[in-house]
Amino acid sequence: MTNFIKDPVVMMAERNPDPVFSNDELVFSDQEKRLIERWKSQYPTVDGAIMRVLWLAQEKFGFLPPEVIRLTADEVGIPYANAYGVATFYTQYYKKKRGKHVLDVCTCFSCQVCGGYDILHYLESKLGIHVGETTDDGLFTLQEVECLGACGSAPMLQVTNGRYVMDLTHERVDALIDTLRKGKTPEFTSVTLPQDEDELGGNRRSDVKEFQASSPRPVSETVR
Amino acid sequence: MEVKPTGQSKAGDWKNFQRVLLPPVKDLHKLEVYEAEGGYQTFRDALSTAKWTPPAVTEEVQQSVLRGRGGAGFPCGLKWTFMPPVDENVPRFLCCNADESEPGTFKDRQLMEYNPHLVFEGILLACYAMSIKTAYIYVRGEFADWITHMEAELEKVYAKGYVGQNILGSEFSTEIVIHKGAGAYICGEESSLMDSLEGKRAYPRVKPPFPAQKGIWGYPTTINNVETLACVPLILRYGGEWFSQIGAERHPGPVLYGISGHVNRPGVYEYPTGMLITDLIEQVAGGMRNGKKLKAVVPGGSSTPILTAAMIDGVTMDAETLRDAGSMMGTGGMLIMDEDTDIVAWLRRVTHFYHHESCGQCTPCREGTGWLENIVSRIEEGEGNIRDLDLLVDLCSQMEGRTVCALADAAAWPVRYTIERFREEFEARCRPSLVPGAEVMETVE
Repeated sequence: MTNFIKDPVVMMAERNPDPVFSNDELVFSDQEKRLIERWKSQYPTVDGAIMRVLWLAQEKFGFLPPEVIRLTADEVGIPYANAYGVATFYTQYYKKKRGKHVLDVCTCFSCQVCGGYDILHYLESKLGIHVGETTDDGLFTLQEVECLGACGSAPMLQVTNGRYVMDLTHERVDALIDTLRKGKTPEFTSVTLPQDEDELGGNRRSDVKEFQASSPRPVSETVR
Repeated sequence: MEVKPTGQSKAGDWKNFQRVLLPPVKDLHKLEVYEAEGGYQTFRDALSTAKWTPPAVTEEVQQSVLRGRGGAGFPCGLKWTFMPPVDENVPRFLCCNADESEPGTFKDRQLMEYNPHLVFEGILLACYAMSIKTAYIYVRGEFADWITHMEAELEKVYAKGYVGQNILGSEFSTEIVIHKGAGAYICGEESSLMDSLEGKRAYPRVKPPFPAQKGIWGYPTTINNVETLACVPLILRYGGEWFSQIGAERHPGPVLYGISGHVNRPGVYEYPTGMLITDLIEQVAGGMRNGKKLKAVVPGGSSTPILTAAMIDGVTMDAETLRDAGSMMGTGGMLIMDEDTDIVAWLRRVTHFYHHESCGQCTPCREGTGWLENIVSRIEEGEGNIRDLDLLVDLCSQMEGRTVCALADAAAWPVRYTIERFREEFEARCRPSLVPGAEVMETVE
């Protein structure tokens, strides 16, 4: 019987013979553990915290190989299968290693009719890769994504699950790639409402720069 | 321009409309500015005056005829009355649906950035009306910057004592938690949103039981859209009657129109419901880009049926009129397309979206969305057979209404109606039939 019913750990190990991270690396710091405890307390059962903890793990480790998912499951206190199910359902959790910067170009609906594919193909030729591939230097991964909810500023893209870069043209794409190559973060854009332009003479927010300074570093910068 | 308005606008004197959801106040997203503008006063009044008992708040919302702004247009006050009577031993939840991922919709993000406190106040009032002690705001994971922004503002609200235990010295306590999603369109559907909150794969649930009976973790739950909840403080401040007299009679109130596509000034606009689509294109959004002619309008996000330029004459943006015109109000996220748009390529991308976002729970949707994409791709590449068009319509009939949630319907409608309304363009892309006389036979049938 023992040969018949395999331990899930053995099954996972067979599927992934070489773990990327060693056991010494697979630990959350005390500060992170406090954060996790807080999230766990916000839901009637601890399960609700798993999405937040997976986000935390992705920011810490860069992507989610099985051993990292196991770590999150143990930390939250839920079965590994549940955590694995969640991590594989949502598109923003990276199951495979990506480049340092992931360029998610929207080509859906409004972005398509406003030239999203033009931007995507321009990036393909500029970086010399196809959609879904990573550049040889490991800097950029190019992806085509579904609607990101910035249709009024189409075409647009998102950098590594973080900043939106909107109203793209070839020049702005060039500038963005330069910015990222220099190791800088693209600026936060606060979209001005057309009615505000008429009634307030521009954007209503006066603290965009402060927001940019105070917002956490994008995930890509913490990737090891 | 060929577009000439012929019907009657239901929005009244919309040119002088005073914005209330996003009023022209600088830095309104800051707590001190919002309070100086009279913010949280409605909530204080609700807690301190005897007039505003919880049932009175619900009554006022019902009187305002506020209808949900998330797409389905269900009356908000009525939804609140579905909650079972308060039982101290049974927790109850409110969920604010900010998983805005319907293609063409981008209003909630602007509301969360420019007036987050109105949303918080709406959540607090809804919690008060239904005696709820925990509220979750489910924000899609892509809005990372706006989650940061909301969390910072929420901390200030906690510090000020508007949220927490015994708020402002009263008996009423409530907590607000921001939940970050991770990229799944299906989470916008209320029952899969509940699964996602519970830390599961987001599969929609069979209804009934409805969320009000068995919601998150099996407890009574109410789920409202961001914009719907943002209307609640305004209704209590100015009265339900004031609200019900804005815009179209049966679908009243201010609404955020998200206009995108080939117009000169795309963006989010706040106007009453019942605006003429032609007014929105010509006068609000600055007309068509480069003086091109209008080809088609999608009035409320990708799943609402497309309208041709000829069909929008005199059509206003409210649920009843749009239904009669052959479409739906949806989320109010409008896509405007000009004469150069390739409708076949556009439909291919829409079917790809639904194929990608189908959660895979029900077979008609999981397989059907894939076949929709395959067949439309074949037509786009010029390899399609003319009979593929009827095959697609037949496939749509086999998907609609046969799944747990409405995603299959949402995927089928664009295909069905785009083929119905732009059939010549699809036929022009197809190869002539391999069977001689097949087209004639179909016509005879």
